[in-house]
Amino acid sequence: MLASFDTHIFWEALTSRPYWHGALLALELTLVSLAAACVIGFFLALGRSSRFRGVRSFVFFYSWIFRATPTLLQLLFIWNGLPQIWSTFANDWFKPFLAAFIALSLNEAAYMSEIIRAGLLSVDPGQELAGKALGMTRPRILRRVIVPQAIRIIIPPTGNEFITLLKLTSLAYVISLHELLTASQVRGAADFHYAEAYSAAVIYYLVIVSVLMAIQAQLERRFTWSSAGRRRRVPVVSVAHDAR
Amino acid sequence: MNDVILRAEDVHKSYDGLEVLRGVSIDVGRGEVKVIIGPSGSGKSTLLRCLALLEPVDSGSVYLEKERLSDLREKQLAAHRSEVGMVFQRFNLFQNMTALGNVMCGLVEVRGLKRREARERAREFLARVGLSDKAGSYPEELSGGQQQRVAIARALVMRPKAMLFDEPTSALDVELVREVLDVMEGLAREGMTMIVVSHELRFAHHVASSILMMDEGEMIEEAPPDRFFSAPSHERTKRFLALVE
Repeated sequence: MLASFDTHIFWEALTSRPYWHGALLALELTLVSLAAACVIGFFLALGRSSRFRGVRSFVFFYSWIFRATPTLLQLLFIWNGLPQIWSTFANDWFKPFLAAFIALSLNEAAYMSEIIRAGLLSVDPGQELAGKALGMTRPRILRRVIVPQAIRIIIPPTGNEFITLLKLTSLAYVISLHELLTASQVRGAADFHYAEAYSAAVIYYLVIVSVLMAIQAQLERRFTWSSAGRRRRVPVVSVAHDAR
Repeated sequence: MNDVILRAEDVHKSYDGLEVLRGVSIDVGRGEVKVIIGPSGSGKSTLLRCLALLEPVDSGSVYLEKERLSDLREKQLAAHRSEVGMVFQRFNLFQNMTALGNVMCGLVEVRGLKRREARERAREFLARVGLSDKAGSYPEELSGGQQQRVAIARALVMRPKAMLFDEPTSALDVELVREVLDVMEGLAREGMTMIVVSHELRFAHHVASSILMMDEGEMIEEAPPDRFFSAPSHERTKRFLALVE
């Protein structure tokens, strides 16, 4: 059955520097892109219900562009095209990691804005009214009342986005970012032990996603507003379902 | 007459072309309790929201003490809103804060008090509504009556010049109505200036300085409780009272 799966090569790949570094790079890229996407997405979400027509149109246009075109195309466009149309980027400091970060966070922001908007809308309007009646200003109501409650709704789909984004970082392979997929591709090509090389990469992705799921369960508990909810252990199985 | 705390003068308000308030005037003097009754859709809640400065009026004026507030801009309004306490039908407690957190919130976020000081004062007010033992509970864990009492404490702790109640007991199960009315009666006895939209007629009879009848966006009658119930002058008031009792 296992005609030729060399466990030794598998272990050697799994513990090698390029894998370890590649995984770390993929994780870093995911985290910073997701963080940036949350910030941009938050303002896009607010912009969607802006009083100003121009702002609403911009948000619509933005989502349209980034959701209608392939992520790979966006990545290549930023890496190869951007320096040509904007000479500031035709510079040594414009590294693959930065290009991937820009492309992925802009792309992801379009999706996060929808998630964040749904989260903000899920909060009962009576909450804002009560804040207003107390004399709170709108930014304070957002920060203290609406956003904390929206986060509970936003966490599970954001877990999904994290997983999607982690997998999308492998696209950065084409702009010669030495992330995890690149490591396995290089290792496989070295002596044609592709099965072992790819399997080792599989393990890394699985481990990263599992750790994320555990963190997500913690976060969800943190943003459950009853003392009972905080004591109760949320079974990981249900989280796995959420983060499918 | 004693000094007027809160006053609306010829207030008009429309939503999408529908005129909800058609020139309503009302005032409440220091320590008075005015109860507004009227069929649903008569504009009672809208009037209260205008008085709480939550809704801009289309025309007419709202005065708090002697200051005309109805033409202030949003930024200045925020500060004045804290001078009028508002209690909602559906409590609207902040779901992400404990009972104590809810009562502290205005002190910290609006008045800029230190958390320690705010906590102490909030505890005092929770005790006043009889909920010291629920300080650490989240709204979800409280009964409707308890939630509404926390909401009253949250408004009171700001030491408002007047309190507005928008049907404070109509979302409550019958057995929980009493505990909320008791708190409100206590407030009235202590001399709090109040405007209450409610159909608790016994409460109105017992506590109100005067009762007002609203219908179709107009204030059609105002009288002291005895006269209001025994000899209402308006036909629509008679019909409404017959329906409610």
